[in-house]
Amino acid sequence: MIRKKILLLGDFSVGKTSLVKRYVDGTFDDKYLTTIGVKISKKLLTLKGVEYELLIWDIEGSTPSKKISLGYYKGASGAIFVADVTRKETIEGIEAHKEVFLSENPDAKFVIAYNKSDKLSEILKEQMELTENSFLTSAKNDENVEALFIKLMENMLS
Amino acid sequence: MKNIQIILNSILSKDIFEYVLVDKSLKIVETSQGLDKYLDRVPKRDDDLLKFCPELFGVEKEINKIFSNKSMLYVLESVHKKEYYVNLSVEHYDENMVLILLHNITDTTLSQQKLLQYSNESILLNNTLQKILDSQNAILFVTHNNEISYTNDQFMKYFSVKKMMDLKRKNLKIYTYLDETLENYDALFERVNSKEEYITIEKDTFILKATWIESTHKLFTLTKVTRLSDDMLKDSLTGVYKKTYFDKRIQKIIRHQEDAIVVVIDLDDFKAVNDTYGHQAGDDVLREFTALIQENIRSDDVLARWGGEEFLLLLQHTSVENALKKVEAMRKLIAEHTFSHIGRLTASFGLASKEKNDDMHTLLQRADKALYEAKKSGKNCIKFKKV
Repeated sequence: MIRKKILLLGDFSVGKTSLVKRYVDGTFDDKYLTTIGVKISKKLLTLKGVEYELLIWDIEGSTPSKKISLGYYKGASGAIFVADVTRKETIEGIEAHKEVFLSENPDAKFVIAYNKSDKLSEILKEQMELTENSFLTSAKNDENVEALFIKLMENMLS
Repeated sequence: MKNIQIILNSILSKDIFEYVLVDKSLKIVETSQGLDKYLDRVPKRDDDLLKFCPELFGVEKEINKIFSNKSMLYVLESVHKKEYYVNLSVEHYDENMVLILLHNITDTTLSQQKLLQYSNESILLNNTLQKILDSQNAILFVTHNNEISYTNDQFMKYFSVKKMMDLKRKNLKIYTYLDETLENYDALFERVNSKEEYITIEKDTFILKATWIESTHKLFTLTKVTRLSDDMLKDSLTGVYKKTYFDKRIQKIIRHQEDAIVVVIDLDDFKAVNDTYGHQAGDDVLREFTALIQENIRSDDVLARWGGEEFLLLLQHTSVENALKKVEAMRKLIAEHTFSHIGRLTASFGLASKEKNDDMHTLLQRADKALYEAKKSGKNCIKFKKV
């Protein structure tokens, strides 16, 4: 079995923990509880006949006054950058997260989750400019969550 | 030895530290008794360390260096394991083993989490309030020493600035748009407080309001009205202003102690036009009549419909003598004009000049009396009424 370490990075309250909970446990809780430090969850999955153990690092979100400890970045093969699609500043913040992460892990792969898409109208959803590596996700409605993780894995294995 | 002593003391006293000893192949050699509270099952000798401490996956190279380097240390802070938080450190034990310490920091971390939760929720609330503020009319806060301390997004967008600094650089003074004689925001506040004023900035008209925010700040709100005003303020038949707009202009003139001349105009025998040629012809005559006057007044003169065939004309920056000449030319023009459907038509004019103690009512009343005298004098003439 091959282990892979991936990180969820983004500003606070964008739904990183909810995405992990939805993907790993298949559950969702609307209540906001700030993550402090890091929580590691495991997920077993098989891709092209190979078994993988995904170590998913749900890391405390950054705030204007508190940045993420670089110690968490070591040895990561991939990252999911998460933004709250209703908070413009969290979308703009993705570039900064990407820059720090890739400077620590230049060969790592990433995908982007524009989360909380359940709060967008269908018209606004259509207006979002997405690439093959970015997804409109909703942990609440289980929209594109699995596709997000699978895409990252595929990128990491390509 | 020193570390072991610390560990033993802690284990015995406060249950703060747990430890794991691992060999070079990262297999477990020994663990402390209380380690199981952080794990789903108790690890045994020769178990794979990374199964129990997945946090150390990806840093195996760093750990390997610790076997041979006593001064090296790898630390991972605030790791959530089951219902606990631990600081995890890997340090040299001997050349064949490294010591992994799990420092229970649950109590302090939970306190920090409460604070962080409170802080994050406050930021979210603040962001929401900011969005509400930005969705409102243009607003600005001014300090007691006349400095602009905050403007919202709408305000910045209108004045094409991105930051407060740009605003200061532009030296933007809203009060000068209302009245050039105003010296600062205090003066503006005195003027606008507890009422509202129309303020024109470039081509747009705003309603300006002011209110205190605590005792330290004054809040000014600018509500744009331009887009609606043209349709709302003009008479649908003739396209000239409605009486309401005329009234506002007069009130402003009186408030600012400006000079002005008001002319009340009435088409002579207009009822006969309607009776003889019908109301459609009457409407056409009114349109032709107002177009004729509009072509012969200045752009800052105001022509308004008072009702029926009666109109008001506001003239500023002119003397009574010149106004009389102008109106006489107007009278002649109308009398000599051939109106479609009906041919000739005349009008009577009543003039009044604004005096020091006039209010809107007395000024209009005097102009109306002058018109009455013109009608009484045989129509198609002009009368001026002094106080």
